[in-house]
Amino acid sequence: MAINTIALAVRNMNVAFDEKQVLKDISFTAGKGEFIGIIGPNGAGKSTLLKAMRGLIPSTRGTVLFYNQPTQKLADKQLARIVAYMQQEINVSFGFTALEIVLTGRYPYLGWWKDESKTDYDIARKYMEFTGVSELENVPVQSMSGGQRQRVLLAKVLTQETPLVFLDEPTASLDLLYQEEIFSHCQNICQQGKTVLIVAHDLKLAAKFCTRLILIADGQIVADGLPAEVVTAENLEKTYGLHSAVFVNKVTGNLDIHTYAAATINAKSKMHVIGGGGTAGELLRHFHEKGYHLSIGVLQQGDTDADVADAFGVESIISPAFTAFSAAAITSNAEKIAHADMVVLTNLCFGEQNLANLQAAFHAEKLIIIEDSPIQQRDFTQGIATELYKKLVKQPNVIVETTITFLRR
Amino acid sequence: MFSVNDGVLKKQMLMGAMGILLISMCVISISWGQVQVPIADTISIVLKNMGITDNINGVEQAQEAVIWHIRMPRVLVGVLTGAALGVSGAVMQGIFSNPLADPGIIGVSGGASFGAVLAVALGLSAQSLYYMPFFALGGALLAVGIALALAMSKGKIPVMVLLLAGITVSMFMGALTSGILTFMNENSIREFLFWTVGGLDYRRWEHVALAVGPISVGTIFLCLMARHINIMVLGEEEARSLGVPVAKLRIILLFVVTLTTATAVCVSGAIGFVGLIVPHIVRLLLGPDHRTLLPASAIAGALFLVTCDLIGRMILPAGEVRVGIVTALLGAPYFLYLLHRLQKGVLR
Repeated sequence: MAINTIALAVRNMNVAFDEKQVLKDISFTAGKGEFIGIIGPNGAGKSTLLKAMRGLIPSTRGTVLFYNQPTQKLADKQLARIVAYMQQEINVSFGFTALEIVLTGRYPYLGWWKDESKTDYDIARKYMEFTGVSELENVPVQSMSGGQRQRVLLAKVLTQETPLVFLDEPTASLDLLYQEEIFSHCQNICQQGKTVLIVAHDLKLAAKFCTRLILIADGQIVADGLPAEVVTAENLEKTYGLHSAVFVNKVTGNLDIHTYAAATINAKSKMHVIGGGGTAGELLRHFHEKGYHLSIGVLQQGDTDADVADAFGVESIISPAFTAFSAAAITSNAEKIAHADMVVLTNLCFGEQNLANLQAAFHAEKLIIIEDSPIQQRDFTQGIATELYKKLVKQPNVIVETTITFLRR
Repeated sequence: MFSVNDGVLKKQMLMGAMGILLISMCVISISWGQVQVPIADTISIVLKNMGITDNINGVEQAQEAVIWHIRMPRVLVGVLTGAALGVSGAVMQGIFSNPLADPGIIGVSGGASFGAVLAVALGLSAQSLYYMPFFALGGALLAVGIALALAMSKGKIPVMVLLLAGITVSMFMGALTSGILTFMNENSIREFLFWTVGGLDYRRWEHVALAVGPISVGTIFLCLMARHINIMVLGEEEARSLGVPVAKLRIILLFVVTLTTATAVCVSGAIGFVGLIVPHIVRLLLGPDHRTLLPASAIAGALFLVTCDLIGRMILPAGEVRVGIVTALLGAPYFLYLLHRLQKGVLR
């Protein structure tokens, strides 16, 4: 998407609280229509960044420009007609109703002595309909559920009719359904030409809906770009201290994140897995998290085991699908088997195309065979595989286990 | 047409009803007392003295004197004071978005009492009636200023800290007031009572003249700021992000509230709890919108104070219970009830 108009520019912003530097030299620009997620661990300075850009917290250095106008030169109400800001938590006391709260969004447009006109009411009602809270018009905000309240507050922010919208964790403490809803409302308004900056806690949602992510840690921008460029295992480890696998979820088509606590005890053990057809996924996950140095082969292209290997950065030997393994793949598989400290043959089915995997297992120095179901049920070669398998089991240095007993070790 | 009109109509009718109730209560209060005057006679005396009608039949001179020179100013001072306290309380609660805020609690009454007593002690009040309000205002501003300075941290005013600071300042000012009074003379006991437990006895037309200006101007100004106060209720950050100059507006509003309340204290002494319970009840009846809440709190505050004064005069056959005692007797339990509800998190 070509972005022509610069809606927001931040230059060298620094913020300090009592000598403590909270934001260090933050600079970035945002184009019109961008939906930017600001992510990062707790205490990274995400909310501070939003507040400082809006001028609610003084910055020690740096400038902020909204549509090329420096914020210092704009009056209070002018600013409020350019940026709407939704804070993390708002305590609506005294039983104000939803409509009364949404109408406050018209404040920047009203003269000092003027009351809201019919037009202001129409605008407020329009956005209440957009966020689906029309029926709650006369309900006190205090007595609403979290999801209803956030939608009312979103309607209020939209009623401000500003080209820029800042949202500070609007989905915190909401049910999954409402979280998605808030994000999709934001996506809609960005498509209408607004620029939305959202501080988000949920990386998956942010990656799914935002057009761009800015990752902040320790008051600095660590990464800035497309969600897939920013949400990487490396960045997550660096900023959140998380061990993770980032992959495209084939079911949803979205970026997905699998996180785990890492163990480094087995860092030097090399394990090669002979798998395929989805039989190796659980093993790969388990031993990757245990810190093994893994490889897998031979897999056909598009095998889910290949996706799992990819997500965890496991080296995999891939051969084209729907045909017998290529000679090159068989050779590299043999190499891996020769160098592995341990080889695992999964509970896979054998056909003409992958018989080579069974043959390769004979060269393993130490072989573990996973047998969850009898070989006869997995043999699609009229007995050739069964015969080979029985021979293999009788080899020295071979242990036969089920998945459950093996993983429990 | 938009449906809010129904609500507006209902609110206007309720306000009108409160206004009629206030006038009726004033008439009853004027006619009731040791010298009982029939209501009809009371009305004709008042109308005559206001220059609306000229001849009245069968009314004794003594009765006329009691009605016009004793009870009329008393009730009017009650109306002004009640209105000032009601509207000031509502504004304080709005700008601090806390239902427990009240000008008395942050030190306005204590400071105003101190200033007024100081004027008396220096002999200035004998020279001109107008020294006292200035001293009262000065004392109130000083007290609020100290409380704010104590509570302010990083440009923000945490409400709970402000309340505690206000209570401390009030007690300190109270000690100074008592100290000055003990050094004055025998009569000071009565004075002491007046400044610690407000009352409406011995109020004259001079007191009405003194209070009517600042209180009317203050009340009208505060009512005009209602829409801005509506936004301030949402909290400092929210209000600022909507373009409200929160810090500036807060100081202006606090100043006007202090002026209005100090004037009230000046003519009727420290009367507690009106600013606390009146806005709360009005909010339950009419909703939280300050555009109706503020004028309605003024009317209801006046109604409440005049009624309390009447009750105070009715309970004892001879003599009276001061209105400050009546409001405290009614207000303190209600305040505790509010605290209890607040703890359960159901207060609106």
